Amino acid sequence: MDMNAPFFKFGLFGDDVSLIVAFIIGIGFGFFLERAGFGSARKLCAQFYFTDLAVFKVMFTAIITAMVGLFWLSWAGLVDLSLVFVSPTYLIPQTVGGLILGAGFVIGGYCPGTSCVAAATGKLDGFVYLGGIIVGIFVFGEVFPLLSGFYESTAMGQVTIPQYFGIPYGLVVFLVVLMAIGGFAGGSWVEKKFAAKAKEAQS
Amino acid sequence: MGREEICRKGEGGTIMKFSLSSLTLNQKLAIVVGVLGFLAVFAGSPYRGFTSKIDSQELASIVEKEIDHISPEELAGWIIAGNVDYRLVDLRKEKDFAEYHIPTAENILLPTLGDGQLERGEKIILYSEGGIHSAQAWFLLKANGYKGVYILRGGLEEWKDKVLFPRLADNASPQEVAAFEKSKLVSQFFGGTPQIGGTAVAATPTMALPKLEAPSGTQPKISGPKKKKEGC
Amino acid sequence: MAASEKAVVLDEVRAQSKARAAREAQPYWNPYVAGLGLGLVLLAAFVVMGRGLGASGAFSSLVAATVQTVVPAHAASNSFYAEYLGDGTKSPLKDWLVFEVLGAIAGGFISGILAGRVKKGVEKGPRISVGGRFGFAFVGGIIMGFGAKLARGCTSGQALTGGALLGLGSWAFMLAVFGGAYALAYFIRRQWT
Repeated sequence: MDMNAPFFKFGLFGDDVSLIVAFIIGIGFGFFLERAGFGSARKLCAQFYFTDLAVFKVMFTAIITAMVGLFWLSWAGLVDLSLVFVSPTYLIPQTVGGLILGAGFVIGGYCPGTSCVAAATGKLDGFVYLGGIIVGIFVFGEVFPLLSGFYESTAMGQVTIPQYFGIPYGLVVFLVVLMAIGGFAGGSWVEKKFAAKAKEAQS
Repeated sequence: MGREEICRKGEGGTIMKFSLSSLTLNQKLAIVVGVLGFLAVFAGSPYRGFTSKIDSQELASIVEKEIDHISPEELAGWIIAGNVDYRLVDLRKEKDFAEYHIPTAENILLPTLGDGQLERGEKIILYSEGGIHSAQAWFLLKANGYKGVYILRGGLEEWKDKVLFPRLADNASPQEVAAFEKSKLVSQFFGGTPQIGGTAVAATPTMALPKLEAPSGTQPKISGPKKKKEGC
Repeated sequence: MAASEKAVVLDEVRAQSKARAAREAQPYWNPYVAGLGLGLVLLAAFVVMGRGLGASGAFSSLVAATVQTVVPAHAASNSFYAEYLGDGTKSPLKDWLVFEVLGAIAGGFISGILAGRVKKGVEKGPRISVGGRFGFAFVGGIIMGFGAKLARGCTSGQALTGGALLGLGSWAFMLAVFGGAYALAYFIRRQWT
């Protein structure tokens, strides 16, 4: 079978058209984020108080949908998986950055993508948050010369979990799906418990 | 609908307790993705590599018509004009590349051709010392879905012959003399030395190859196409 | 139809159109369905572009472009900005992520309009003031911006995209995000609960 996807990597269209594609894909992205209610900081942060685990549910449903879809499309020879860009791993900076980002998430109430959706639906705190992001990036840019050593540390290249642990790709896919479904089931139970607790506290 | 009918439907329903319709949407979704995930365990690697259909007749006709060839003079013209819409690939060893290479060329060795430096939609011109390695590389790239692959006809040998050290024979016709004027300018652009007179062809190996400063640097061009940001 | 029946029908129609006009905020979608939609969008990005989604990169391009406009020499000498400015042949704003984020704003707006959820407001818990919320939002944004650059991505790019592609660093990042957020949640609970 003749592979010709990812279409852009096979030269089916150029850089300028790719910007239009970006816009269209972005529309889908923002649309479903808002559908899920992620334009609301309260809904987002309820995740971290266990009262509404929509963040976990939406994120992991999206992950397993795309992961399983890509796996089978590649297996069927319709997409060249090796041409899909995997962000290179810089283990320690990514972990530290993630911790910082998590803190910023619960303090600020959004993440960059959801803050755009919040601003688009009129949330003033979303606008303020966007301003903060820009300042934060600027600060990073300015101190970058001091950080660049740390920033480039523990570089491991484009490595996936199957590659690193030597586990077959399909098996990892299955384990992630299991974990997600288990998480969803457990999550519903947790939500009920904490919602009951909150009701108790109020009454 | 009378009460009787509803009761009868109810009975049928209790027997078929696990009928599909009794599952919630969430449960159905979970089952679908669970099955797909489970099957993935037995599917093997999703990295299929590129399986190509090699149409031997098509390839043969391309070879015969020399569609994918580019003459040294043509390439020289592009370089002088400052075109940036192609990637010029030198397949020789690094040592040879460092000694002399055609301006705007990049040194990529055969084994690393498929590593991702070259994009499938780009115009790629291959050259080696003669024509053997470039022909092999041409085939490799074509078989891997690269569309715009071309060979510099005659390789570096013909580049030296036609561009760097063009020769005007003793018994040249007036048209040839006139054409030679252009070749002289091209040759000088690339730092070569035009040859006038004589019939010996074997002089080329002893010619001093030009130093690599003359036409504008290769650096900006190489950093251009490669730096395609795909991060987030 | 009898006159009375007609009147009933007309009343119904009038009530329905009134509700539609008022565009009362509709409930959010089932998270799994929304996630499925999001996953399909991500999959489309993989298949069409060979890359995933992102958000923080667009803001980096914006910052780099701004710095370049205001103090070009400084931007050129800083390797972080230089990465987003490219080789000078085209504007840093002509970037895939910038257009994607613009699309996300449009998509969020469209969904909000259709669901009657576009309204000026401030998202906050009952125990904090609007000013306090703004303060937290700004500080949180700064922290988030810094962290996103250090991690080379945010939840859309690293967690969603990298997660689906089973990237090692992306999964480490994802766990760290949840860890960092949960660790701090107790101390910030005044803002949300």
